[in-house]
Order: sequence, then structure tokens, then C-alpha cells
Amino acid sequence: MTDQTATSAGWHSWLTTTSPESRRQARLGQLYRQWLAFRKNPAAMVGLLIVLALLLLAAFAPLVAPHDPLAQALDQRLLAPSARNWFGTDALGRDIFSRIVYGTRVTLVIVMLVVITVGPLGLLIGCAAGYFGGWVDTVLMRITDVFLAFPRLVLALAFVAALGPGLENAVIAIAFTAWPPYARVARAETMLIRNADYISAMRLQGASQLRIVLKHVVPMCVPSLIVRTTYDMAGIIIIAAGLGFLGLGAQPPIPEWGAMISTGREQIFDQWWVATFPGLAICVVALGFNLLGDGLRDVLDAR
Amino acid sequence: MNASSDQILLALDDLRVDFHTPTGIVNAVRGLSFTLGRERLGIVGESGSGKSMTSRAILDLIPHPGVVTAKRMEFRGQDLTAMDKGSRRKLRGRHISMVMQDPKFSLNPVQTVGDQIAEAYRVHHKASAREAKERSLAMLEAVQIREPARVYGLYPHEVSGGMGQRVMIAMMLIAEPDILIADEPTSALDVTVQLQILKILDDLVTSRGMGLIFISHDLHLVKSFCDRVIVMYGGKAMETLPASELDRAQHPYTRGLLGCLPDLDHPRDKLATLTRDPAWLA
Amino acid sequence: MTTQPAITVEKLNVSFGDSHVVKDLSFAVSPGESYGIVGESGSGKSTVLRVLAGLNREWSGEVDILGKRQPKIRDKAFYRAVQMVFQDPYGSLHPKKTVDDTLAEPLAIHGLRDAEAKITRAMADVGLPASFRFRFPHQLSGGQRQRVAIARALVLEPTILLLDEPTSALDVSIQAEVLNLLQALRQERKLTYILVSHDLAVVGHMCERLLVMQFGRGVEEMSAETLAARTPRTDYARQLLIASEGFRRAG
Repeated sequence: MTDQTATSAGWHSWLTTTSPESRRQARLGQLYRQWLAFRKNPAAMVGLLIVLALLLLAAFAPLVAPHDPLAQALDQRLLAPSARNWFGTDALGRDIFSRIVYGTRVTLVIVMLVVITVGPLGLLIGCAAGYFGGWVDTVLMRITDVFLAFPRLVLALAFVAALGPGLENAVIAIAFTAWPPYARVARAETMLIRNADYISAMRLQGASQLRIVLKHVVPMCVPSLIVRTTYDMAGIIIIAAGLGFLGLGAQPPIPEWGAMISTGREQIFDQWWVATFPGLAICVVALGFNLLGDGLRDVLDAR
Repeated sequence: MNASSDQILLALDDLRVDFHTPTGIVNAVRGLSFTLGRERLGIVGESGSGKSMTSRAILDLIPHPGVVTAKRMEFRGQDLTAMDKGSRRKLRGRHISMVMQDPKFSLNPVQTVGDQIAEAYRVHHKASAREAKERSLAMLEAVQIREPARVYGLYPHEVSGGMGQRVMIAMMLIAEPDILIADEPTSALDVTVQLQILKILDDLVTSRGMGLIFISHDLHLVKSFCDRVIVMYGGKAMETLPASELDRAQHPYTRGLLGCLPDLDHPRDKLATLTRDPAWLA
Repeated sequence: MTTQPAITVEKLNVSFGDSHVVKDLSFAVSPGESYGIVGESGSGKSTVLRVLAGLNREWSGEVDILGKRQPKIRDKAFYRAVQMVFQDPYGSLHPKKTVDDTLAEPLAIHGLRDAEAKITRAMADVGLPASFRFRFPHQLSGGQRQRVAIARALVLEPTILLLDEPTSALDVSIQAEVLNLLQALRQERKLTYILVSHDLAVVGHMCERLLVMQFGRGVEEMSAETLAARTPRTDYARQLLIASEGFRRAG
């Protein structure tokens, strides 16, 4: 016990030292200090817990879910919540709690795919437009404007209509519609940075344009994009759910939350639980990401 | 009250400003005592010396988590430590004003400078809009702005740094305060403009019988402008002396500060550097 | 004795849109000389430095540096010979890079070997303790940051150093340390300096000759002795000198 506290104190001082001995120690120390600041924000910690819970649920869905999410039992249709079916059953007799638990996987897949495509795309377009200015900026930003001119859900609908319904196409559609705000944020950030003395200093070292953008401008834009992404998660989840609700996203019998609400809407007055629990799940996860985003903004944007 | 104590506008005894941060208490000001009469008092020091914190403490503008304590803090015999926030706020602007370094950050960008001066007047005096405007124009003239009527209608971004600082001074002095605190009022300005601003400040302070606290890092300026100087280091006063005797200062810190300035009349190969003695803060 | 100037500027003109910020400016700096440019804000003194450094590409006139006519866009070799130190130590270091990153970057750009030894030496040369190597800028004081900026400029071993108000954001005691450092480095490495400043005392201390600028024009070129003797020819230079003496109460 005492041994353990001694080592943790050792770690603490190793991480918070003002004279680190290696690159790695300096980086880790920086992260650790940010974590210490983050930890002080209770709302952000709640957000982090929700997101962690979501990740754990997705990872251990088979252990958590009491029933097979796809197993139909037509003799047990539309049962009210009980000890056996915590959140009741749907019109095909499937256990709603189990479906929500497995639904975390679908939600996470959508969110992750969108984020890994949208983040870098928006970042590169925005940084290039902001740093080079001139006609590069004009061309890139007009394209961005075209995408921004349409309501996101409508544009996503159009893409899905063209590509055909399905989870993958929903992801592609959302990604296509989600990047413009990111490019805008990155561009605004870059325009502030590009005239900073430290960028001039890099030019004075003879650094190439590409090197300056990738190694010096991009790292400055990443924090605000991370924050933006966590805010946006809620929106992405809701659009994915919206596509699912309209039957254009994940196809049956995949347990996707939006599609679950959609099928439950006929019974909303008589069997409220069918639509309500997936709706609550979307609410909680959206809230979690938003709280996390708030906390991250306070930590990462503090320059 | 006798006549001599009436001359003392501000009395501070053992002023302390502490910031309670998660990593411990930071002492920004540690036991500063001085009195201010109708004079030009200079406070010089380097960054972190506590000179700006002192002025903020007087105005009750110390941000969270700062805590101000003092054995005595009196403005014309009124105990400031016993006053509530509201009364302190009323004192601010009406009786004690402050001019800060950069007028750009102190003026409202979407209101004309004239309206801002007029408003500053009407906050503290019952006056009609017309009277306030007339007063403001007169004040703009007093800070030697050539076309007061034209400048009255300008927005802050339309005035130069020097003119912006004149506008700030006009705004601060229109309520006719008893004490003016000038925190590096000319550091952002060119030398020639700087001297014009100081001249205006000097004339107004002298003619209206105000007390002036002039906060600066510039020893030469303080020496030539003030009556008395407090040299601060690490939140403490190292010494207080008449400005004219600054060159003959005794304290090693003051001597060190003077010594490390390049001087056209005494060229040296190497500038003296300052060795700080921890004992100064004991 | 002066064989060939290190820097020659001939009829330099710079305009930003409608404003003509540098007008027909000409001057020459010998190798190993320290040359000061003095003026108030808007005099164009910093713009001249940015043109010399190749940071400003909107200019006309002739600029020769180390015997080579300079094009608007400089080549990589140029940056090994000419480096610059900026005014604001808080803005000139990348906030997310450690001292080590900052010093390693120029070496990586120019593909120089022996980075480890060069970084250690650069830090020692500017008087930074080795323990500061992996610190981020926010863990350094203003004076320490300026030392890092000087180390970054020196790590490529240039012969010309352009100094844009290198100490005006620093406390006077720190200013003295940085000025001493710059003096020592110049002697050791036979560097040529152009120092831009608004502070006549600093220029008088650091430079052999100086140019007074006003509204984009060179008003007067004088030696440090003329400055110390306070005998400039032009009214404007005299006025600047008087203003720098401090406040004078009339009567």
C-alpha cells in the first residue's frame, strides 16, 4: 500500500517536473498537466464517464446484454418493462435493453468513421486555404460554401438517395456533409497563426511551405478541431439516427437507435417504452459528448 | 481633523495581495505602506514587482482568487477595508480613477469617444445630455485635442494611439477625481507623443490639485516626472525617496536597476547586470 | 579598408496598398559592423528588416547581401547566412514546441548532422541551462524565451543577424543580460548586426553607426559618437534625442 503511494508520487513528480530529460517525458508531462486541469471540472468528468461507459458497453456488449438483440419472440411482443426485459420488448418481441446495448456499437462505428474522415479532411482544406490565401483560398472556400449552403440532413438525404440506403452509405453521406464547418474553423485559426512571429521564424529557417503547414500550423489547429468534433458528435449521432429513422441508414435487423425509434413511433401512445428508451440513449450520449467537449475546450484552448 | 491630515488623500499600511492558487499562495504584494498627498508619486519596478497589483488593490479590482488585506487603507479618512463592494464601486471613477496602458482595450469600440466621455460624466453627476456633451467637449479641449467637435464623433478605431490616450485621460478626469492612477500610461506610445501626454497629465493634475500615482518601469521617466518614488521588487518597497535623488539611491536594487541601463553619456563595453539578493524579500 | 559591404540597400521602396511605407532608402553595412535603425512607429524601420530577411516580398529597389543581388524569393542557402530575432519573445516561439524541437527544426530543414551536439552547444552559447532543453515556452520567462530565439537564430551559424527590437519587451535588468549576450556573440563570431530599435540609448550602446528614419525615409545617418555628443545635423534627430532624455517641466 505504502509502496504504491510512493510510486504514484514518483510518477507525479516525474510528470510535473519543470526540467524533463527527454522528449517523451516533456510530452507526457504536458498531457498530465492537461489531465490535472480537466479533472477539476465536474461536468467534464461526467461527460468523460458517459463516453467511457459507452465505449465499455460497446466492447463488452455480449457480456452486458441479457438477450440476443436479434432473437425474435413473437409470443412476447410489446411487453412492458419488467425484471426479465428491463426496457420491455419491441413489436417483434426483441429485448430493447439488449438492442440498445448492441446499438452502442453501431453508434460508435458511425461516429468513429465520420471523425477519422472528417477531421483530417477539414483540417487540411482549412489550413491550406488559410495559409496560402489567394486563389487557393477562394477555390477551397467557395466549394465549402456550396456544401454549407444546404441543410446538413437534406444534403445527407440526397447523398444516401443517390448511393442507396445502408450503414456505410450513411457514414459516407454524413462525412461529406460534416467537413465544411471543420474547414472553416481550421481556416480561421490558420489565418490568425500564419502571421505569427514563430511562423515567420520558420520561414526564415528556410522551411518549405508544406513543412510549415503540416508541422507548425496544423498542430495549432488540432485542439480547436478536437473540441469542435466532440461538440459535433451529438449532431452526427442525431443525423445518423435521423437517417435510420427515415429508413435510409442502418437496415433491419441491425439495432440502430434511430431506426428503433422509427419502428416504435406507431406504438408511442400505447407502448411508450419502444421509442422512449432508444431516444433516451441518444440524449444521454449526445449530452456526454457535449460535456466532454466543454471540458476539453477549457483545457486545450487555454494558451 | 486638522489641516495636515486633510492633505493626505490615501494612506496604506501593510497592504497585502495574496493569490490562493491550487499550487500554493502567491504573494503579489507583501506589506506595502505609503501615503499619498496632492503630489506625483511614482511606483517603479520590473514585471512581477507588484506595482500594478497595488493600484488594482486600491481600486478594488483584484481578480479572483486574489485576497487583499491591510492594517489600514484609508481614502480621505474613510476606511476602505470596511466598505462594501457597492461603495467601493461608487468611489471608483468618481474619486479614484485609473488610466491604463493601451487605450484600445479600455474604450468601447462601438460607441463614439465623445459619448463615452459624456457617459462617464453622467454616471457620477446629475446632468442633462446637453450639459454632459458641453463638459465633454471642454474636457477634450483640456487634453489639447485641436478639433474637439470632430473628435467627439469618432469611434475608437479612428483615433491614433496618442489621441486615444488623451481621450482616456479626458474620460478619467471629467468626474474630477481626487486621485488618478496612471498605470504605464505612455508605454505604448512613441517618445515624442509620450511627452505630450505627460505634459497634459502634469498640467491637469497640478491645476486641479489631484494626487497622482504614476506606475512605470521607466526609471528615467519617473525620475523626471514625479515628486517621490517608491521602488518595488517582489511585492515589497525597496526604498522610497524623492525623485530628484534617484541617482543617489542607496538600495542595491535601485542602484542595480540604474546601472543596467545603457547610457549615452557613459558608454561601457559591458552593461552591469543585476544580482538579486533573497535577503531583500526577507 | 572596407572591401565589400555585407549589406547594400539601394533605392528601396515598399508600399502596402496606398501607403508608401519605405521611400527611396539607401544604406550600406560593412562586414562585422553593428548598424542601428532608429525611428518612431510608422517610420518603416521594421519593414526594412523584413525586406532584408525575405519575409516581405512586395518591394522594389536593389538589395545586395554578401555580394549577391537578392531576388524576392530567397534560396535555402540565404537562410544559413542571414537570421533574425523578433521583438516579442512571447510570439516568436511556437507554443506547442519544446526548446529542443525549436532548435532541432532548422537543423532538420538543412539536413545538418550532429544535431545533438549542435543543440547542446547553442544552448550553452546563449547561457541556457541544459535542464531547460525539454521545456515548453510557457515554462520560460521572457528573457529565457529571447535566449531560445537567439539560439535558434545562431544554430545555423549565420554571419548576419537582424535584430528587431530584441529587448523592448523585456525588463531593464533582463535587457542588460540579453544585450551583453548579443555583444559577446558578435565579438566571438564576427557577426554583422542590424539592430532596429526605438531606444536611442540601446542603439548607442550596441551600434557603431545608425540611421534615423521618419515616415519611411532615411533622415540622417550618423556615428555613435555623434549620437553620444548629441550633435546630429537634422532637427528631427535632435528632437528624438531630446525626447529620449525624459520629461521636462517648463518653468
